[in-house]
Amino acid sequence: MASRREFLQAGIAASLLPMAVSGGNLALGERDEPAGFYKVIFDERFPASVAFGEEWKARGAAVHGIRGDITDLWFHDLDLQWKRQPLPIAGLTAHGPLFCLERLAWDRGMRVVSRVEQTAMHDGDPLIAWVIAPKTKPGVSA
Amino acid sequence: MSLPPGVNSKDFSDALKQFEEAVGKEWVFTSDEDVALYRDAYSPFWGEPEERVASAAVAPYTVEQVQAVMKTANEYKIPVYPISTGKNLGYGGSAPNLSGSVVLDLKRMNRILDVSERNHSALVEPGVSYFDLYRYIQERKLKLWVDVPDPGWGSPIGNALDHGGGYLRPEFRVHFDSHCGMEVVLANGDLLRTGMGAMPGAQTWQQYKLGFGPWIDGLFSQSNFGVVTKMGFWLMPEPDAYLSGTVTVPRYEDLIPMVDILTFLENSGVSNGMPGLGSPLLGGFMMPPPAPEVKAMLQAAEGGVASPELHKYAQDKGVPFWSCTVKFYGPAKAIRAQWEYAQEKFSAIPGAKFHDGAFYKLPLTPDQFDKVHKPEFGLPSLETFSIGARSPTNPTPTSGHIWFSPIIPRTGEAVLEANKVFSQAARDYGLPILSFSLPTTYWIRAFIFLFGFPITRDVATNKKNRESFKQLVRIAAEHGWGEYRTAPAFQDAVMDTYSFNNHALRRFHETVKDAVDPNGIISAGRYGIWPKHLRGTKA
Repeated sequence: MASRREFLQAGIAASLLPMAVSGGNLALGERDEPAGFYKVIFDERFPASVAFGEEWKARGAAVHGIRGDITDLWFHDLDLQWKRQPLPIAGLTAHGPLFCLERLAWDRGMRVVSRVEQTAMHDGDPLIAWVIAPKTKPGVSA
Repeated sequence: MSLPPGVNSKDFSDALKQFEEAVGKEWVFTSDEDVALYRDAYSPFWGEPEERVASAAVAPYTVEQVQAVMKTANEYKIPVYPISTGKNLGYGGSAPNLSGSVVLDLKRMNRILDVSERNHSALVEPGVSYFDLYRYIQERKLKLWVDVPDPGWGSPIGNALDHGGGYLRPEFRVHFDSHCGMEVVLANGDLLRTGMGAMPGAQTWQQYKLGFGPWIDGLFSQSNFGVVTKMGFWLMPEPDAYLSGTVTVPRYEDLIPMVDILTFLENSGVSNGMPGLGSPLLGGFMMPPPAPEVKAMLQAAEGGVASPELHKYAQDKGVPFWSCTVKFYGPAKAIRAQWEYAQEKFSAIPGAKFHDGAFYKLPLTPDQFDKVHKPEFGLPSLETFSIGARSPTNPTPTSGHIWFSPIIPRTGEAVLEANKVFSQAARDYGLPILSFSLPTTYWIRAFIFLFGFPITRDVATNKKNRESFKQLVRIAAEHGWGEYRTAPAFQDAVMDTYSFNNHALRRFHETVKDAVDPNGIISAGRYGIWPKHLRGTKA
């Protein structure tokens, strides 16, 4: 259960993402998702991240929970989707999952277009609110 | 945009234009933003002038395009640095040894050319990842396993060429050993196939390794003699079942017969999964931490793990000093019998106790996936990146790591001696390594220790760790233990330790380099092999 402070901070993180979308060089996909995100990623280990996911779910976004490891998210979802069409995703996670997703996104011509570190909201890592989106020109590799 | 060393701006510009003609304008990268993607996230020189960075990158799609790029690079003497998927973190990532090199990014060459369920083999291009190959096999419901490393986003070709390894049966565990045939583009653009691939129309490229005449495949691993564009691999038939069991022994000196018995079981083919030595008393890698009083004794005692106080504590408390987990793949009936036989052998050690581990009828069910260490079941994973997160027990996670990874003899005596030497070095030099460690990788005839050196974003800390790393390389070599693989920043220092007969091996490498790449354009400096015009200026 998220504390009031964690919940409020998650709300701040959530509110940052649309700003990042409108202010960054995000090339939105054709899919009509809230704020253009194909998926919003949260980490089930951190209450603030769970609250973040719930907020985006309430907004109608497709959300995906991880527990630090992005293997399933990558193998069963993003790898397949990004081969068909790179679409933007967002999340509030620790550094490790973002590190992996960023490098995998580079290989599909995508970039982290917003990265806002939150203050530590749990005993664990500081959480990072982030957006990954297609570049406006061809990517580094297939 | 920086220039490659020794190349003027007109020549570089002309070469880049020819690269664009060869691969398409959109696949040549010169902007700072794009080139920055090839920085090594774990560089021990991060943010310092000495950090090895690329000048540009080019990403061909076909072998013919690789040949065209190499011909141009050779004509203009442009240093190129081939990468496969560029995920070799901890050993250099995708950054070149020589700053200013053009990264030859082979990720777009991601075709799986053949997978044979009857021959248990595959033929792939460098841009194929372990995930890609696993998906291909799963989608076709083939009864094949791929030996994958931690983590699984890399390339079978890149990993094998850098001597990476995995967890399955010994004949697959060292990935270069399990390859069968390769295709190589040479510095002048010529195309070479090894093994049976040298025969046009050969039916056995992925079946017989040696071909005819000298076997040269090893020349293209950990080297800079060519650009590997295809490689065959032998895959493991999906086993019927998996079983693990653990033996514990009570005394410090029991490690010696325990390792000998383990080695006999593996070399006899009785135990065929990657084993794991542990210490219920001392904890260690992938083990529960030791009791606080044990930790204090370990850190305070002059003799480290050999401390008499620790031995007495283990005896008094009845805590086993050592454990060994053995693993088996095969028919269920057979591996149960193999575990029974292993217990008979280990029973020669007084006080040995046995604990049955996991048994799985294969393939795993989806529910079982989350309970296992995935690479031991041929499942590519990125789970390892969630281990180092900040937590109450890891309050200061680093920005990465480099591996100090010496090969030591496969004996208990060597494990104890290595602990004595490395714990003393840690005390003497304030090294950021554990005061106690056990092998983490088990090759069929040798152990590999792995010590993670932290990489930070602090220049002073990284500088100190670089010096410490080199000290460990030197200390290990003084005891006859050599690194099996290392990051570019330390490849010269490690190659210096392979110095038999006035560095005869390096002199031979240089002779080959001068013959097959006279302009020295491929991966200058990789594994300590510098082209003639840079020799002696970089080491």
